[in-house]
Formats: sequence, structure tokens, C-alpha cells
Amino acid sequence: MVGKSFCKRLLSALIFGWLGILINNNCDSQTIVNSQNPNEKIFLVRTKQFNEFIDRFNYKTNFNGNPVDSVFKSKMTREKIINSLFDLKDFRADLSGKNWSKNYTDLKTEFINEVLHKNILIFKYSDKIIAEAISRIIYKGTPARISIFLTQEIVGNGMVKWVISSVKGDLFNLFKPDTAYIRFIPPSSNETDFINLKRALEDVDHLQEYSSKDYYPDYLSVFFYMVKSGFIKFDYVEEVLYHIIDIPGWCIKVKEFNRNEMNSGWLIYDVSRNFSDKISYLKALNK
Amino acid sequence: MFKKSLLPLIAMFLSLLGSGQTKTAVTSKEAKIVDEINLSEQDIQVFKEQTKQKVDEFQQYIVTLGSKDEPAEKRNMAEKEALKLFYKGAQMEISMIMPDGIVQKVNRSMEKYLARLKSLPFTKVVIKFYDIAYIRDFTKGPDGKYYSTATIIQEFTGFKDDNIVYTDVTKKDIEIIIDLVEDKFFKEKRWKIFLGDIKASETKTTNT
Repeated sequence: MVGKSFCKRLLSALIFGWLGILINNNCDSQTIVNSQNPNEKIFLVRTKQFNEFIDRFNYKTNFNGNPVDSVFKSKMTREKIINSLFDLKDFRADLSGKNWSKNYTDLKTEFINEVLHKNILIFKYSDKIIAEAISRIIYKGTPARISIFLTQEIVGNGMVKWVISSVKGDLFNLFKPDTAYIRFIPPSSNETDFINLKRALEDVDHLQEYSSKDYYPDYLSVFFYMVKSGFIKFDYVEEVLYHIIDIPGWCIKVKEFNRNEMNSGWLIYDVSRNFSDKISYLKALNK
Repeated sequence: MFKKSLLPLIAMFLSLLGSGQTKTAVTSKEAKIVDEINLSEQDIQVFKEQTKQKVDEFQQYIVTLGSKDEPAEKRNMAEKEALKLFYKGAQMEISMIMPDGIVQKVNRSMEKYLARLKSLPFTKVVIKFYDIAYIRDFTKGPDGKYYSTATIIQEFTGFKDDNIVYTDVTKKDIEIIIDLVEDKFFKEKRWKIFLGDIKASETKTTNT
């Protein structure tokens, strides 16, 4: 028991040391952590679940999943923790690389400063956490890929569920854009009991051009219909990405990095300015 | 652990289920009761501890099941006991990284997964689990059950004679469910932990 506790303390010290060096110098961990099984240490630091990502972002839990205490705080500031939640291999943030981006680096710094200054926390069950499940489906016998967007809904007294909010995929772009011809139902058609309607509805690739200027295709209903009618057979989710728009003025995107480093697991791969609400954001994803 | 004050509510809940009211009426009342039966923070902490034990138990069964040195009876027993930990219909989704980097997923019932594990074509199998288990907080679902996920890491080595012919490290994300079930012995409803679906993904690691 004493030995185990000592080992845990030693491990923590190694991790703190590694993280400090990693964050400050962006160097390789392998030479710092000297252990018989480096994989185990890597998995301890890796953000293993998206939930763990939120807890670390909120400075709620340490690497063991225990509540952050004063000892942890004295060694790991929230700034260091948030920094470690970014993909540190992002070429835009690599100062020595040719793809280094001053804009992105400045934006990232601005984001971190704002989070720290305003003590911004992400609400775990926020409906502004959008999960994008990139999924493999079989469409008319052929494999295809679509994105299914899911958000959380709170029901009753704190009960939570994920709901399907939107879908995106090439196969939902049913209509071809065409600016060569003007398509419309003539103004006097009503007098002929809309004989032209048959002509319009046979123009199957351009049906949307006969619709109102306010028409917006509801891809989710199209998706449900296709599943129900058997045109689409769901296979499995290939990858999940998260779009977090819960932080006012910002959008961060998070995905899982499967690599043999402590900076792995669920990490931020993009940060951008965002002023859209959830519905507008989801609509924009479909454009 | 389970508050006695909730027992009348459960009794009412059960009587409603057994009554002949219209489906809509039962559903709305049922939803209200589900809303009202809650575990306290303390209870949830106790269940979190119990989750660790359940996961340890599962890991132990996996080690026994995979071990070719163990007698067949013991391995069969481990398979049977492991299945008891799971919710009925639990699935194992295995993702494999193909040589071209594309990830492919295969779905199997837990029964099939455990049976396959028992009969892998190796002369010796060594399964090790890392001393890491991350368990997220429990969240109540609209059905009144509490849900969490535990993440564990498994190192697998397959031998042909004395030679290692296969090795992998997989991350296993295990769904955890706390459900209110009938205890046949005490003839009352009690909260019980079950393991649910598992997502197993191969990880890129250093060979150790």
C-alpha cells in the first residue's frame, strides 16, 4: 500500500515535470519519463474520455480523475492544463515549421486568456455541445459517409439524453444547382388548374427551383425518410468530433488523437470566433 | 443506501405498471415517478466505487478466459460469470486500424466476443490490464437509470510456442448502467450495476 502510494506520487512528479517541459518547450516526453512501461503513464495523462476533457478544461479533476486540490494547483495552473488540451502537433502552432500561422497562434492565445480571465467553464450538459458522428452508411447498396449531429437535451429533473439535431452528406444534396434556365410555374397556371405542375414535378433534378424563396431543405426529415424506406442502412460511427459553441464568442473543435504521446486522446484541434446560435451554426454546417 | 422514503414511490410505480390504465396515462405518471426516484450524491459515490470493483471483476474474468493454462471448467465458468455482469443484449464494437490507416469496426454480441476470446488460435495468451480506470460521473437518463462510462486499457499478447506472434493494446470504453431491479430474495427493488456496450479501439503504443 505504501509502495503503491509512493509510486503514484513519483508518477505524478514525473508527469508534472513532463507536462511543464512539454508545454514550455514542446519537446518529446520519452526521454523525460523513464519507466519500464511508458504506455501506462501515457494513458494516465491522455484525455481518455470527452467527459474527462470537459473536467480538465473546467479545472475540476487532475490526471487521476480526482478533484483538483491546492497541491495540484500549485504545480499545474489552469493555463498549463488548457494548453495541454490543445493538439500540440498542430502545424499552425509550430513556430519552427513552415506552416506556422501567426493568426491562429494569436487566436489561440486570445482564447486561453479570455477563458482564464473570465474563468469560463463549459457546462457538461450544454445543448451547445454538438457531437458530429461521422458515420458509414449503405446507400442503395453502396457505402457512403454522412455526418449526424447530436446535441444534449435535459429532460425533467436533470435527466439527460442525446438527440439527433441535423445531418449532412453529399447524398442529401438532391438537387443540382442550375443558373442556365429560369424555372418557374407561370403566373396564369392557376386558371388551368396548374397543368404545369406535372411538368415541374417531372423536372426532378431542379425541384427546389419551383419552391418558395423561403424554402430551406430539412435534411433530417429526408434522412429519417430514407432510413425508414430502406434507402439507407446505418453501419457504424467511424469518428466523433465535437463542436463546442458554449463559450460566448468562440467555437472550439475537439477530436480524439490516437497516438503514443501524453498529448493525446480528446484534444482541441481548432479554435475560431463564433457568434452564431446553435440553430444558425447547424444550418451553416450544411452549406 | 437506498432511501426508505422512496419505497412507497416504487410501490406506487409498480402498481401503476400493473394497472389497466390507458397507455398515455401510465406513461406520463411513470415519467413523473422516474423523475422523482433519485440517487443521492453519496449513493452515486458508492456506486462509483462499486463500478471499479465490477470492472476489476470483468478484467479478472477476461484474464482467466484468455489463459490457455487454466482448466477448461474454470474458463467456462469465467465466461458464464462475465456474462452475468452485463445488461442483456450488450454489444462489443471492435475497431481495427487497417494497414492503410482506415479504421474498420466490427460488432459482436458479448456472448460471441467472450466465446471467441476463449478459443483464439494461440498456444498461450497473456492479457494484462493497466492500473488505470477512468470512470465518468453518473448521469440520469429519461428512463430513470443512471449512466456512466469506464475506460480501461488492455495489453494482449498471443504466443505460438514461445514466440510472440500477435500483440496489441486496446482502450475499452465500457458503458455502465445503474438500474432498479427486482431482488428475488428480498422481494423488493434494488439498484444494481450492470456493464453495457463496450467500444474497443486499438491504440498506437510503444512496444514494451
